[in-house]
Amino acid sequence: MPDAVTTEHLTKTFTSRGGDVEAVRGVDLAVREGEIFGFLGPNGAGKSTTVRMLTTLTSITSGRATVAGVDVAADPDGARHKIGVALQEAGLDPRQTGREILQLQARLFGASRAEAVTRAEELLELVDLTDAAERMTKTYSGGMKRRLDLASALVHQPEVLFLDEPTTGLDPASRLVVWDEVRRINAAGTTVFLTTQYLEEADALCERLAIIDGGRVVSEGTPQALKDELKARRSLTEEPTLDDVFLDVTGRRRERTAGEVREVQA
Amino acid sequence: MTNAVAVLGERALREARRTPDAMVPTLLIPLFFLVVNVGQAAKIFPTDSTEFLQGQGYAAFQLPSSLLLAASFGTSALYLVEEIEGGYFDKLRATPVHRSSLVLGRLVAVAVQSVLMTTVLVGVSLLFDVRIASGVFGFLLLVVLAAMWAVGYAGFLQFVALKTRSAAATNSAGLVFFPLLFLTPNFVPRELLSRPMEIAATLNPVTYVVEAMRSLVLVDLDWPVIGIGFAVAGAFVVAMVALNVRTMSHYD
Repeated sequence: MPDAVTTEHLTKTFTSRGGDVEAVRGVDLAVREGEIFGFLGPNGAGKSTTVRMLTTLTSITSGRATVAGVDVAADPDGARHKIGVALQEAGLDPRQTGREILQLQARLFGASRAEAVTRAEELLELVDLTDAAERMTKTYSGGMKRRLDLASALVHQPEVLFLDEPTTGLDPASRLVVWDEVRRINAAGTTVFLTTQYLEEADALCERLAIIDGGRVVSEGTPQALKDELKARRSLTEEPTLDDVFLDVTGRRRERTAGEVREVQA
Repeated sequence: MTNAVAVLGERALREARRTPDAMVPTLLIPLFFLVVNVGQAAKIFPTDSTEFLQGQGYAAFQLPSSLLLAASFGTSALYLVEEIEGGYFDKLRATPVHRSSLVLGRLVAVAVQSVLMTTVLVGVSLLFDVRIASGVFGFLLLVVLAAMWAVGYAGFLQFVALKTRSAAATNSAGLVFFPLLFLTPNFVPRELLSRPMEIAATLNPVTYVVEAMRSLVLVDLDWPVIGIGFAVAGAFVVAMVALNVRTMSHYD
């Protein structure tokens, strides 16, 4: 099966007054067509920067990336036609209705006015927002915004969908709704590249995943393979969780300080 | 690219229509200045003994300054920076449209808004016995000139918004042009200003836009004056649009 996303030594360095910051340091990835691929890491690990490079929103310092066979640096417009993007913040125009946002998005992807109307209707039904279609998005709940954001990433039926922390800030019920949407989108043939900090989310959704820390991929495989590897290597008697894998490969541990659980470098 | 500019322009107009509270001060403040300035200085400059009024009242002399003030609104840049901060701008950047469409759409909407506001202000000024001496064609030129200024000014603020990505910085940048607006021959023609003010006004490009507008209101079609005004406004638009396009093509 061909790869939907590939990166070869992908690197991003931000230059600031305080000096250069290497946010992503030579990431190599291969995401297979049709899979849900999870990209995990702690805050500041380089997840979002990697997604922004893959979605043409941030320039690549060095290395190469392709999406659906298109080099994102050499042909960004070609790549944009192939991808859908829902970023960490559900970026929506608060002064437009849900329907207007979807129609606008469709027209920017080249649909005629009539085609945009039809597509918006289909997507509103898909994410169960038909009843709220005429309301300004500023009146939407967090979960509704997420669903609309997902729908707007699908207007042009992308081959690869990038979801950057799609459930951050959502209540458990809304999170389950988004998971269902992601599964439904993937079942329709779209490759999903998903970043998350929630390990149970990765466990529930992803067929394969990579863990990034400090800008480098520190582990990669199926959730079960990663757990099996840890169990064998540490000679554990109980089945480890994905959280155990995460703490092991990132060299972190959790400790309780003044009633709060903090993640610290071991 | 044209289609994307039109689609995004349409959206920006819808946005403006839905936020009248943002546009009302843009109309009321220039009207306020028109009323106050005329109230303060009309008796000093009576129509029959003030040659530069060309037989009209002082309101006709003041109208161009109010039109320029009305055309200097920065709401499009503030919406842009809000979009950048809220993440929607990235959503638009992920679409396969020409990068410059994302800023030009807003500028098209600014031009349309300016046409409407200039028309309303000129309409209100008729109540002050103002007559457009250059006739209907002159009125159209006045509307186009104000729209060009509005696009240039909004372009400047959008450039600041794209560069700083900060609402506070964009808001503050709006103040940069106010000294320039008031360093024009605001109350009397340039030749009646004190020598230092005359030099300052001569060096200030905004002066030539005000003088072109004033010529259209008070005199007939005085092409040399009108031509300089359009040239200055045109250069302003070209420079600001070029800065917007360049900034967008390097936006990371």
